[in-house]
Amino acid sequence: MKPIIRFGIDSFLYVIRGSAMFYGWLMFLGFFMLLMMYGAYEQFTNGMIVTNYNDQVSWGLYEAQFVFLVGVAAAAVTVVFPSYVYHHKKLKEIVVLGEMLAIAAVSMVIIFIMFHMGRPDRLWHLLPVVGIFNWPNSMLTWDVLVLNGYLVLNMVCGFYYLYKRYVGQEVNKSFYMPLVYISIGWALSIHTVTAFLVNTMPSRPMWFHSMMPIKFITTAFAAGPSMIIVSFLIINKYTKLKIAEEAFDTLSQIVTWCLGIAIFLGISEVVTELYPSTEHSFSLQYLIFGKHGLSGLVVWYWASVVLMVTSFIILLNPRLRRNLTFWLPLACVMTFAGIWIDKGMGLVVPAFIPSPIGEFSEYVPSAIEIINTLGGWASGLFIFTLLAKGAIGVLLGDVKYSDKWNLAGEWQPVVHSEETSK
Amino acid sequence: MSDMNDKDKKNQVDPKENSRREFLKEAAGGTLSAATLAAGAGALLSGSNEAEAKATWGEWFQKNYRLMTDEEKKESVDRLEKRYSEEYGKKTTVDSVPAQEGVLFGYALNIQKCIGCRRCVYACVKENNQSRHDPEIQWIRVLKMEKGNFLEENMDKGYPDKPGIQVGGNAYQNSGVVLEGEHYYEPEEVPEKGHFYFPMQCMQCEKPPCVKVCPVRTTYREPDGIVVIDYNWCIGCRMCVSACPYWARRFNWGEPNLPAEEMNPVTHYLGNRPRMKGVAEKCTFCLQRTRQGRYTACVEVCPVGARKFGNLLDPESEVRKILEKKRVFRLKAELNTYPKFFYFMD
Amino acid sequence: MKKLGKIAAAATLAAGLLTGSTLLAADTYLDYMKKPAPTDCFESREGYSNVAPTEIKPGTPNVKCSNKTNGVLWWGDPFDGTEPMGDLPIDADYKHEEAVVKPRTGQLKYYAPCTTCHNGSMVPYPKSKAPRALVMHQDIVPDALDLQHGRGAIWCLDCHNPRNRDTLIDHNGGEIQFNQPMKLCGKCHGEVYSDWRDGIHGKRIGMWTKGGKKRWWVCTECHNPHMVQTKRFQPIAPEPRPQYPRTRTNADHERNHGAGHAESAAGTTGGH
Repeated sequence: MKPIIRFGIDSFLYVIRGSAMFYGWLMFLGFFMLLMMYGAYEQFTNGMIVTNYNDQVSWGLYEAQFVFLVGVAAAAVTVVFPSYVYHHKKLKEIVVLGEMLAIAAVSMVIIFIMFHMGRPDRLWHLLPVVGIFNWPNSMLTWDVLVLNGYLVLNMVCGFYYLYKRYVGQEVNKSFYMPLVYISIGWALSIHTVTAFLVNTMPSRPMWFHSMMPIKFITTAFAAGPSMIIVSFLIINKYTKLKIAEEAFDTLSQIVTWCLGIAIFLGISEVVTELYPSTEHSFSLQYLIFGKHGLSGLVVWYWASVVLMVTSFIILLNPRLRRNLTFWLPLACVMTFAGIWIDKGMGLVVPAFIPSPIGEFSEYVPSAIEIINTLGGWASGLFIFTLLAKGAIGVLLGDVKYSDKWNLAGEWQPVVHSEETSK
Repeated sequence: MSDMNDKDKKNQVDPKENSRREFLKEAAGGTLSAATLAAGAGALLSGSNEAEAKATWGEWFQKNYRLMTDEEKKESVDRLEKRYSEEYGKKTTVDSVPAQEGVLFGYALNIQKCIGCRRCVYACVKENNQSRHDPEIQWIRVLKMEKGNFLEENMDKGYPDKPGIQVGGNAYQNSGVVLEGEHYYEPEEVPEKGHFYFPMQCMQCEKPPCVKVCPVRTTYREPDGIVVIDYNWCIGCRMCVSACPYWARRFNWGEPNLPAEEMNPVTHYLGNRPRMKGVAEKCTFCLQRTRQGRYTACVEVCPVGARKFGNLLDPESEVRKILEKKRVFRLKAELNTYPKFFYFMD
Repeated sequence: MKKLGKIAAAATLAAGLLTGSTLLAADTYLDYMKKPAPTDCFESREGYSNVAPTEIKPGTPNVKCSNKTNGVLWWGDPFDGTEPMGDLPIDADYKHEEAVVKPRTGQLKYYAPCTTCHNGSMVPYPKSKAPRALVMHQDIVPDALDLQHGRGAIWCLDCHNPRNRDTLIDHNGGEIQFNQPMKLCGKCHGEVYSDWRDGIHGKRIGMWTKGGKKRWWVCTECHNPHMVQTKRFQPIAPEPRPQYPRTRTNADHERNHGAGHAESAAGTTGGH
């Protein structure tokens, strides 16, 4: 028991100490989190009337983040899978960072689900025994199961691995490896189920196609590793942990091909819907061209197309793809932004326009929605920063179990700031 | 941004309205503010009146209606009656009459007769205690549709216009296209020339997609075929709102604005009792009336008698006569939701 | 601040005058809610099915009416002011159910009763059924030689009893009460009459239950027999439109629906 308690305390002490820049970053995020506290207070006391949701467009900015972030969470598998299935040595070294990202992403998902709920005070109605869990009928209950399961799996795998590193032991393979393989399958399931959540409703023709799960997964495996690459580059730059180029190479290839498939699927969808141009394509027409003079998402859609196609072209070129200082991060940020639009607002909102009985409407998020969304992201990044810092400390051996232990002594701060890392 | 601020302002509750409501509540001795009701578990403790706070606790912890024993139902209903009576300053009854045996409710609407006057919309609002504004909730939506008009001069205008093989003509005009109806028409008089009207509301599907997607089974189909919602069990996830192909479900985005003088005090637990913020609602075929044998409010109000209601299991009922004598259709029949709401023509 | 307010008001007014529809567009249920409730309402046919709102018991009105159109929206007691339908041959179904109607005579403008004037002496009995121009009642029938019912095949005295104006007349010369117009209309409109008896045509309120008490609407509560040829149902003002969805300030795009294939991407070609 003692090493576990020490693991907690040591990691905590390590995580909360850092450079001025580290604190600055946390305070920057904290500012948005404080704003979110206000937004959450407004929303939970007055109801969702403080958002711009309505009966016509009843999902919006929050659900867009929800769908997108489930993808980011699932994308941890792009690190885990090559590490354990293809024994990619360089990725295996930092596999735990992928798991930390997954934990942070699922936390954000939970935040956005709370904002999505009309009655968050009644969430206990979902609990088995005291409540009613409409499983297996309700797709939402499947989503609750897979998301919570995924969170638990990643926490167990991640923290178990870190703990073993902390105490300087090898992981118990008969315990750890099955969990790893389960979590690989599970990662696919969380995004598949999220796709099923939306594409099993014939009332929303734009969502009602069987391509949804695979499109979700390919876009997730483009956007997720993009974020991982960017965060690894930041880690490379600002910490002592050095992630090998092979890791970036593998990840950027995953981004390239998944992005390519995602673009292909996007084209397939557009052709399938727009060639016959049935009533069921109205949502897509609204998204791409605008309809009946309403065109709120057109700019966003085309921005997403430009971002995704341009970054795909950049990534196709191996020389640019291996350029870790400019082209790769640029392409990753573009991919991330493009998919954030495509699988966020571009997926969620137009499905409600027109309504099932043909009412065309438009939706613009309210100020409260925007600050809550910013705050949600800030919270996620906050969690990821702390988790990643702790994990890096363990990986570097800075956080290490020793018999001689006193809370204040011996411990060496890790250098984080730019100047000192050089 | 300033544009958005304007919109936000508009979305706020009319202060006059609010203060009047507050006043009425105070006058009725209700100290429990509407905000307290829904602010979550933490806020529940802040009720100043101990009895009120107890009632709110009771409501918060009660079971799903369907799983309650008769005593629990009675307890819950009594609690609500007391609270509503105080809140709205008039004796309010909350019925818990179950479905009658041998009854399956059905509805038929003659779209040839409908003149689009929207009286059904407001009969429903008067009866069912919907929020009057911000959010304005109406369970019936009437669409104005074009009868269509084919013009000779468009006969040979092709698509595409210029080079290429013509794949379509332009003689087409909208005629009876549901997805191209008008929702916000406001002419001096109805019916208007060249148009017909198409009211829609909950179809009380035999296979309701909304029930299937509900994660907590707060919405379910009653034995008499009505799809109901236990408003006290709803978690506000809005899956049902998305899943309904008929756009029949509405959501209480904020605390409902129901002025005391407009409130209908004859209510049913699963029907028209006042709702709270953050829950879904929809047409229940006026459960509180129809389970007592009375026609629905929309049937009674229709000035042209386009709306018909009755027991689908009774061959002599109006709806069964219509199924027997007229040609009927159901909306979006291809979705296999099996609505018990039929449209017909003379 | 006051000045600003005035300018704003003037601007709003000007905008309203310019577009015309803007003034109408402000009228949702919320606006009408603030107006006083009407003191005289109508059920189906404006001017011929009136009812005065009262309380049937404390807190329960007999009817609730629209503040915009004065139309009845809700009945506290569906049987208020009704009487038994009488000897109507409802043979097809519901033999034993309690059927009531609202008397029509109280709604007829000239029913003083009619024989007050049409008593043979003050107004002599007509000698034949041959159409002729009317001296009075042009408000009901503007041009009796062009009666908007039957396309020239019928005239007043095919329905109104020439000898007893307080009644209508059937094919055999039998008297029909104004309160039972279905007996008269059913003479020719057999199919509609059959649908009406089945509850398919027309309207009933009250109890839907088998054998339950129902108030039956009779023909003239909805139709004006003197002009059915032009207007089967006299047009009425509609109730207010719904509020626009939040973030929307108009629904102009609704009237922008295109015409099928020809519609441009932005949907600018009107289909009207």
